[in-house]
Amino acid sequence: MDLLLQLLATGLVVGSLYALCALGWGLIYGTTLHFHVAHGAVFSLAAYFAYVGQKLLHLPLAVAVVAAILAAAAAGLLIDLLLYQQLERRGAFRTSLFIASLGLLILTENLLAIVFTPDPMRMDIGVLDTSLIIGPVFVTYLHVLTVVLAIGGYLALVVFLKRSRWGQAIRAVSSSPEMARTVGIDLKRVHLLTYAIGSALAAPAGILVAMDVGAEPFRGTRFVLLASVAVIMGGIGSIPGAMLGGLFLGLLENVGIWQLPSEWQSAISFGVFLLFIVLRPRGFFGRKVQSAEL
Amino acid sequence: MSDSAASAQPILSLQGVSKAFGGIHAVQDCTFDVTPRLITGLIGPNGAGKTTVFNLITGFLRADAGSVRFKGKEILGLAPHRVEAKGVVRTFQHLRLWGKMSVLENVLVGCRSPLGENVLTLFLRPGRVRAEEAAAHERGMQVLEFFGLADRAREVAEDLAYPEQKLLSMARMLATDADVLLLDEPTSGLDTDSLGRIVPVVRRLVERGKTVLLIEHNMELISQLSDEVVFLHQGRVLARGRPAEITRDPALTEIYFGV
Amino acid sequence: MAAYLAHYLVMVGIYTILALSLNLLIGYSGIFSLAHAAIYGIGAYASALVALKLGLGFWGGLVVAGAVGAFASALVAIPSLRVAGDYYIVASFGLQTVILTVFINWTSLTNGHAGLPGIPRPTVLGYVIDNPFKYVVLAAALAGFTYAVCHRLTHSAFGRTLRAIREDEIAAQATGKNVVLVKIVITSISSALGALAGSLYAHYITYINPTSFTLEESIFIASLVILGGTERLAGPMVGAFILLAVPEALKFLAIPDAVAAPMRQIIYGGLLILFMFVRPEGILGRARPGAKQ
Repeated sequence: MDLLLQLLATGLVVGSLYALCALGWGLIYGTTLHFHVAHGAVFSLAAYFAYVGQKLLHLPLAVAVVAAILAAAAAGLLIDLLLYQQLERRGAFRTSLFIASLGLLILTENLLAIVFTPDPMRMDIGVLDTSLIIGPVFVTYLHVLTVVLAIGGYLALVVFLKRSRWGQAIRAVSSSPEMARTVGIDLKRVHLLTYAIGSALAAPAGILVAMDVGAEPFRGTRFVLLASVAVIMGGIGSIPGAMLGGLFLGLLENVGIWQLPSEWQSAISFGVFLLFIVLRPRGFFGRKVQSAEL
Repeated sequence: MSDSAASAQPILSLQGVSKAFGGIHAVQDCTFDVTPRLITGLIGPNGAGKTTVFNLITGFLRADAGSVRFKGKEILGLAPHRVEAKGVVRTFQHLRLWGKMSVLENVLVGCRSPLGENVLTLFLRPGRVRAEEAAAHERGMQVLEFFGLADRAREVAEDLAYPEQKLLSMARMLATDADVLLLDEPTSGLDTDSLGRIVPVVRRLVERGKTVLLIEHNMELISQLSDEVVFLHQGRVLARGRPAEITRDPALTEIYFGV
Repeated sequence: MAAYLAHYLVMVGIYTILALSLNLLIGYSGIFSLAHAAIYGIGAYASALVALKLGLGFWGGLVVAGAVGAFASALVAIPSLRVAGDYYIVASFGLQTVILTVFINWTSLTNGHAGLPGIPRPTVLGYVIDNPFKYVVLAAALAGFTYAVCHRLTHSAFGRTLRAIREDEIAAQATGKNVVLVKIVITSISSALGALAGSLYAHYITYINPTSFTLEESIFIASLVILGGTERLAGPMVGAFILLAVPEALKFLAIPDAVAAPMRQIIYGGLLILFMFVRPEGILGRARPGAKQ
């Protein structure tokens, strides 16, 4: 029982990380329909930005983190501006965009591997490393912060999308780009903003993991693909769905190993994912999926 | 209901078909018959639900209620490729041609090639597959000739001018040998010259024994072309009858041109 | 030197089979799969296991490999191809992950990381294939077979249907094509062929372990297809020739191993991006695909 509670706690923390990534990726996918695997590159970059900020530029942790998030948001925006929008100008197919995105992901992560070596680059997180013991469960302040940030990020996103003009523009484009264009919304600008926000959501996840176990170059690939699983399970186009999907995935992975050997962790998640596709392809909250989209 | 073809059983019969999206009733209690070997026009103001009716008949959308009978058998709810197999085929407003394939290939996809499309027979019965392919080629060229596109057979479909692309989308449809042809705005975007090419073609389709249901905005054309007209408004069938009756009805004209 | 060249050619042969079979999906059907390395691995393990545990010969192993490969991918394809295209990318990633996990963790069957050594060499009509030159012939024959199968498939009514589905699957449905069934069939065939490559690999190196069948490998195979050109069947072969030379070139430049591996990936990644800008149809593709018969 104690083990189960510990696993639930870990699952909540991991789920929060997945949720942040999923919120960002889902926002981008829902609005632009780009299968943005390079989101993983932004995730990895954010971690290293924070590391460089603290360890090489000797900035205080909080400053390094905020700067890293901003830098990651800029990176995401630049990826859209310089890669996807340029390809679209040349009439590229969606598959071509995906391939370019994949190329960028591989290039970025391997570049990071050469520059920083594949070993984890640890950061000093000071007081956040202090452990907190709640009953049988053992977590650190960092873990608590992770969950808080995920919830905060989710709420901030929801409020932004509902209340602000730009948020509404994003929602309009998400639901129908043609209609949005007709009412005068600048699609390119909305895409850039979406990428900036989506990247700004993934960045804290990358940074938090780096603060916990060190920055690693190839973690982003795993996270972005799990984020897409979370978004599909939660329902494409649904923000609460992405949040729920991420949390669910994190809990599933960890609770799954309560009874099953831990090496089978990822197999469990994907097994459940496949089950979802068979039984409920629209996920928790997605629109009803039709085999033809007219 | 007009008595122009009283002897014929309706080939396509819609009863109480309904579809709602969110709170919007795109199609409500839609009921009308299509008489075989005639041209029936489906008209109504923008947003009346005409293309939605096509989507429902051909299985691209699931209806909430109602029934669609083709030659007496229920086809509502069947997947699009099954509906086509039964004998009902459609064109699209935005054409949806396979632009990177040749003109002939576009038509060939429509021809039935069961041996060539089945992987087992493809490898185990090469002789018969070859014969089937040759027959399909011949048939494809015949269809292209019907539409006056035979000399463009080897060209890439996206290189064709718009009017010819419209003809190609109909050629593809004819190649399927379906009995009921649903034409979604066959003349939209065409100038008067091109119109002159399309209209006789549609007539000849019917002379060949096909039944045509077409969505059309051009009132002139409707009067010229249709034998019967169904007027749709806000998803409901408001009137059915001969074109002359419908186009002269002041109440309908008012609705059509918008108030 | 000659033996080294022979080895290079055998690997080109194996990767040609992999690339040709993946091209059926990516190039002809518009289905992007990240699981081809896992399928490659399934073929390798299936063939190796029936040889080691059941004494089945190479040719029997080929058949088993093909069947198991087709079955594994159909399991994933059937549910996920019913829904819009992007689901398959994620599902294939899932398949890749699960299968690799099985290779690593089902130790009683696969020996996990230790791998399976001692895989017997193939025999053809009584002759044992035991030197690199004989393997070149075998690899060429299997590659030729794969090419012939792909050629027949793509130059047929079935191939036309695939291209129609890739370009506009809604129009294909309206024209009577059972799109889901076609996708499942082509996915199964693609996987059966990919598994054949695995079988050949297993009986060539005579030792297999999970590290050959990772996600990086799947991406590498996809790169072969993309860079070589998806429009023509010879494209994947050209891709194999060229991309397999990259690691050799790097060895030539005496770059330390630790840097060589990521350096390779950087080159592949960079090439992918470059090609999407400059020549998305790949090296052998036509800039404007003309009318094909």
